[in-house]
Amino acid sequence: MIEVRGVTKRFGARCAVDRLDLEVRSGELFAFLGPNGAGKTTTIKMICGLLSPSSGVVRIGGNEATSQAARQLLGYVPDQPYLYDKLTGREFLRFVVEMYGLEPGRASRRILELIDVFEMRDYIDELCESYSQGMKQRVVFASALVHDPKILVVDEPLVGLDPRSARIVKDLFVQQARSGCAVLMSTHLLAIAEELADRVGIVDHGRMLASGTVDQLRSELKHHGPLEDLFLSLTGDHRPPMSSVEGQGPIDLAGRPQPAGTPL
Amino acid sequence: MSLVIGESGRIEPPPLPAEQTARALRHLRWWLMRNTVRSVLSGSRLRLTMILCCSAVFWLGLFGLFWGSFEFIGINDALVNGIFEYLFSMFFLSILVMLFFSTGILTYTALFHSREGAFLLTTPATTDRIFAYQFTESVGLSSWAFFLLGSPLMVAYGLTNGAAPGFYLIFLAYLVAFVLIAGSLGAIAAIVVANVFPRRQKLVLSASVAGILGLGALLGWRLWSTPGDALSTDWLAGVQDRLAFAQSPLWPSRWMSAGLLAASRSDWSRSGYYLVVLSAHAGLAYLAAAAMARDLYFRGYSRVQGNRSARRRQGGYWFDALFHRTFFVLPRPVRLLILKDLRSFRRDPAQWSQFLIFFGLLAFYFLNIPRLGYAVQSPSWRNLVSFLNLSVTALILSTFTSRFIFPLLSLEGRNFWVLGLFPLRREQILWGKFVFSVGIALLPTELLVSLSDAMLGMGPLMIALHAAMVAVLCAGLSGISVGLGARLPNLRESDPSKIAVGFGGTLNLLVSLVFIFAIVTALAVPCHLYYLGIEHPEAQYALTHGAFRFWLTIAFAVSLVIGLVGTVLPLRIGIKAFQRMEF
Repeated sequence: MIEVRGVTKRFGARCAVDRLDLEVRSGELFAFLGPNGAGKTTTIKMICGLLSPSSGVVRIGGNEATSQAARQLLGYVPDQPYLYDKLTGREFLRFVVEMYGLEPGRASRRILELIDVFEMRDYIDELCESYSQGMKQRVVFASALVHDPKILVVDEPLVGLDPRSARIVKDLFVQQARSGCAVLMSTHLLAIAEELADRVGIVDHGRMLASGTVDQLRSELKHHGPLEDLFLSLTGDHRPPMSSVEGQGPIDLAGRPQPAGTPL
Repeated sequence: MSLVIGESGRIEPPPLPAEQTARALRHLRWWLMRNTVRSVLSGSRLRLTMILCCSAVFWLGLFGLFWGSFEFIGINDALVNGIFEYLFSMFFLSILVMLFFSTGILTYTALFHSREGAFLLTTPATTDRIFAYQFTESVGLSSWAFFLLGSPLMVAYGLTNGAAPGFYLIFLAYLVAFVLIAGSLGAIAAIVVANVFPRRQKLVLSASVAGILGLGALLGWRLWSTPGDALSTDWLAGVQDRLAFAQSPLWPSRWMSAGLLAASRSDWSRSGYYLVVLSAHAGLAYLAAAAMARDLYFRGYSRVQGNRSARRRQGGYWFDALFHRTFFVLPRPVRLLILKDLRSFRRDPAQWSQFLIFFGLLAFYFLNIPRLGYAVQSPSWRNLVSFLNLSVTALILSTFTSRFIFPLLSLEGRNFWVLGLFPLRREQILWGKFVFSVGIALLPTELLVSLSDAMLGMGPLMIALHAAMVAVLCAGLSGISVGLGARLPNLRESDPSKIAVGFGGTLNLLVSLVFIFAIVTALAVPCHLYYLGIEHPEAQYALTHGAFRFWLTIAFAVSLVIGLVGTVLPLRIGIKAFQRMEF
């Protein structure tokens, strides 16, 4: 469903994404991992048709990413979601369903269903300007799902959500994937990726370092520790975990052991 | 959603009718307008009343000015013949240029830099449909001022010339077509800039504005230097010759002025002809803009987003050290805040380029004073011009403080979690802004006013007096902008230009204008009466030297008191509000 082939994106002299290959199939939940500035958001913006690649191909359901057909198939939750301050949450959802041409009766039922799923009944008819970050995030999730997308792309999905909302969102991701939707999720939270994802891809400096199931990565890289250690060793930021130096004196911010008596 | 899977495995969603997204965007606009009106009506009645009253006063003031001007021109038969067409052509040409720039800038921001633009690009709406939606809003925002300026002009003209009611109706049709031409051309320019100069948009804008201002200054200079006695036939012929370029039949402003003047004479066939010409070109210009948006919007968006400057900015530490040493009397946290604001000022060309352009043009004018012959005029005339020059400098400074200093606190509100944790009192933040504003304003204004006085050949006493007045004005205008900025902040808005044109910014500008008027009038009156007495000792209110010294001392003391109140009172109000404020 999502097909990224040899994609490079340059910002002037800087190469943000470097010959990246990525595929997310129907019914699959793919977690896109990488340190800050690794090129995750740039890749996601190319998948959503907001940026054009300097070279390479991005296809959504076989369509060019910038085409109207691709946008009809896609639901997108950006890292900094946008809502109209002077619309109520319900009006925003009605705008989205109208934009995607949903039949009115079906659209109303779907909106009510999502209001219940995301527990938004108490505030859905208030102006979005009065919403907290978490409330906004829930409306944006609902708007991305309200037209039953075949592909869901989510950048940092759990930012600003309380544990209950986070649980709802995580369940929804799995449910979407099981119902045949291709879900691409970019996250820093390795535990979430380990818990939910069918496959993970680790990207750094714009290049895909490794991709596959967590077990495949462990076996290929001969690394049997937690995903966090695997990630850190791949991205070159490895530092000894606190537990490994416990009792051996202080460490500095880079994780290097310091002589006893060094002030922290 | 029923999907079709093609032979190549491509998933084809059902085609979306073009009208579907258009309807959704129309509904969106309706909901937004309705909810905004409801919010305004349910908000502060005082604020709404004040906005309406200010607009009404502004409209009536302009109407009175235009009415008086048309009456004056009407009694001079030599002026009536042909001069209106020149005046209207020039007026509409100036408006055309302003609308071109304002709509271009607003469209550029809406299409290529707004989060709404990014959001709409992820929906199934086509790029020309998104353009149409954003363009309508940009044209509305940029043209309301034209309506506020143009409507009293047209009503005053219609009434003084006994125009038929149809004249006022046809003006509205002309207005729509005219605004559409200027806006569409501005939008085309915005799309071209995004595609061709994605990293140089500010440079292109600055160069264009400087070019236009340069041409304006050249035209002004040529008009000033028209030979012959003012209002004589030769002089009028000279003025018309210099304005002849505005009469080119290729300018939409010419079609507008010719058509409206024909309508005022009830020459409907001629007026209708020009309306058709104007409307046809408006349609063509919009079509061209929409076609360019369809083909180039996405490409331009990608280029603008993909070419954001990532230039490393280092150095300048010698300046920091010098600043700390020079202003050691200020508390260190205040100095650090000022340095932060100075750095932001230096890195934002929108701020210093406007500062540079306006003050540069003033300096150009002041340097040309000897060529304009003011320096050889009578003392009372030179005194009058010196006060007028001082007023213009202060007025430009007030637009600067309203546009850039007033929004500082509103913008700081978003970063208050940083400032709030610093070991300094909240009032110190305001004092820091105040000192920053005074420091930025004082140097260029003092230099400009001294230059003006030197070119006019004013005496040392007047130069010293003007220098002191400029200091008082800088402190007062800074105090007003910082104080009101803290009292009436807009913490939701991140765009300083939108903060400046809001209620608080408008009130700030009005208070600043009243302050300038009070300070300048207090000192200009005794000076004028004194110099008048030198030329015409028999004049009724002329002051003798002794009386002048007495009244000047009184006036100086009064202006100092006004300056002190104008500086301290808004700051106190601002500090109190800022200390109570929750972020």
